[in-house]
Amino acid sequence: MSSVSQLWAYRSLIYNLTQRELKSRYKKSILGWLWSLINPAAVLAIYSFVFGVVFRAEPPVAGNGHTKSYALYLFAGLWVWNYFNGTVMGAINSLQASGPLLNKVFFPPACPAVANTVTVLLQAMIESAILFVVMAALGCVGWQLVLFPALILCITLFSLGVGLALSVYNVFYRDVNYLVSIGMNVLFYATPIIYPLSLVAEQSSTAARIIQLSPIAQFVRWSRDIFWNLNWPNTWSMVGVPVVSILAFLIGLAIFNRKSRDIAQEL
Amino acid sequence: MIAIDVQDVSKKFRLYTDKPGSVKELFTKFGRPKYEDFWAVRDVSMQIKEGTVHGLVGHNGCGKSSLLRMMAGIHTPTTGQIVTAGRISALLELGAGFHPELTGRENIYLNASILGLSRTQTDELLDRIVEFAGLQAFIDSPVKHYSSGMFVRLGFAVAVHVDPQILLVDEVIAVGDEEFQRRCLDHLRTLKAEGVTIVLVTHAMGIVQGMCDTATWMDHGRVMAEGDPLRVVSEYLHGVNDKEAERDLANEIVSFHPTTAVAPGHTSLRVEKLVLQDPDGEHVPFGISGAPLDIRVDWSTVGEFAEPRLVMHLLSSAGLHLATTYTPDGSPELLGEGRWSALCRFDSLPLAPGAYKIQVTATDVRTNVIFHKSDEYDLTVRAEGHSIEGVFALPAQWIHGLRRGESA
Repeated sequence: MSSVSQLWAYRSLIYNLTQRELKSRYKKSILGWLWSLINPAAVLAIYSFVFGVVFRAEPPVAGNGHTKSYALYLFAGLWVWNYFNGTVMGAINSLQASGPLLNKVFFPPACPAVANTVTVLLQAMIESAILFVVMAALGCVGWQLVLFPALILCITLFSLGVGLALSVYNVFYRDVNYLVSIGMNVLFYATPIIYPLSLVAEQSSTAARIIQLSPIAQFVRWSRDIFWNLNWPNTWSMVGVPVVSILAFLIGLAIFNRKSRDIAQEL
Repeated sequence: MIAIDVQDVSKKFRLYTDKPGSVKELFTKFGRPKYEDFWAVRDVSMQIKEGTVHGLVGHNGCGKSSLLRMMAGIHTPTTGQIVTAGRISALLELGAGFHPELTGRENIYLNASILGLSRTQTDELLDRIVEFAGLQAFIDSPVKHYSSGMFVRLGFAVAVHVDPQILLVDEVIAVGDEEFQRRCLDHLRTLKAEGVTIVLVTHAMGIVQGMCDTATWMDHGRVMAEGDPLRVVSEYLHGVNDKEAERDLANEIVSFHPTTAVAPGHTSLRVEKLVLQDPDGEHVPFGISGAPLDIRVDWSTVGEFAEPRLVMHLLSSAGLHLATTYTPDGSPELLGEGRWSALCRFDSLPLAPGAYKIQVTATDVRTNVIFHKSDEYDLTVRAEGHSIEGVFALPAQWIHGLRRGESA
């Protein structure tokens, strides 16, 4: 836990690293900040076209009883994925990129990964806010919204834990970066984001149950429950998701602390 | 009170013979170490008192930078430990962490937070930092448009203004121009007066002798001498001299191979070495204040040359340009290819005892540079009997005992 308080002591650095990332990201581009919306919108449009129009994927009817927009259904899962993916890959890349700096100045090596998480979190907040506004306009709002802060916190803890652990192994074996990229691709399609879980359940209930064990699938499910289905997650999920997230964070942080003790010389 | 307590510290680095590992090698070469151990620092203990300036000297690769990094907390000692008291600011590289796209002001905040300062603390220091760096006009431009000098000034300004209690400085002062170097040194003196503990890694023996309270000479990771800076430096220089003597360079002040510069037209001129001689042409290891000295410049040419003009710069050990002397204007007659010498003769060497550097360049008759700066050669001047104070004996004459009349 001392490492958490150390991170807190360096919150000013995390704040400034975040600012550096945000300020430098869209410098010299005409559209600037709009790119952070255009990019996910483009991905959303592509998937919506391919799977919604070409393959005619049918989402379940939303909690308001009539909305059947595949694009919105997809978006309710996609922002979760973007946040998870951005945090993990960002943790790996930001530690690697901090090598020169860590060799010159002492600071907790987890700071860049945390700063990256904050930037990705901001993006996720914007995306989910847009989702909320659209769904609210369609009359699809429920009390389940109170779960949203818990969901954000759980995804953050889980993704950061996974990202920190992978980032430190990546310093010793750069293969990790490439392997994780491939793994992320597999995981994306193994998670019911572009298709509803019911599609899998029709084929094999065992496969559906296995998929449900993935924390990412659970995060997506929570988001769909909050914004689309207006259902409460079942008890198992309500207990399991926070417990697994906290465990993932603690284990990831412990691995990171143990392995990063003298990491500057390896970078 | 002890500010930095280095307790029996050793540091082992792994020199990877085939870096870095991939997962395949993890399986195929499993269990076979593919690195060699290298001890950068070996059994070093030292105590640096609060408010003192400590110099670390030694040739490149002797472990002084590794030690400094361990003091800064960047590297962890393999064995032993380092106990420090107070906030540490390390100047291992000026402007480390500057982001080229961000403005000077944004980078000040970024860099200050890397050094552990909060936003409000930085707010208070901002004006002083900007003023010290002399960048008022450019502070809101991205630092990628800065000249390298501006970049360095900003980096130094941030690092010394974060109110450190311990300041670790690694060679960084050597990068700026002369005025900047002087300001850095002045500021370090101010910090010292304020009670900041400073550890300096440097090759400028003049700084060690002039500024440090204590010094350590390290060689191959071990402490060779420590204590009084004058004694440590002289032992270090003796050590260097002995080594050079072993390499059969005993009486020459050549320390490096000069760089070659190719002049236009496939001709080139190369300053090969500098030799100190007494008036009889005998090699001497050093000059003596007020005594005659010849500095012989050996140079060679490829192709034909109009007789070049040799330019000799005299620098202080800290790199400050003190004086320049030229050979007379080159005569138009051509010199053939070959090896040449020139003598720069002093009937009475007007330099105070100390360490100096000499650099030689060459220009042609039209003052085009045909040989860029040679490496810096060390010139040691010692006292014998009557000594010179300051740096130079001024070439002035006193006419005294003049009685002032009522109205001349």
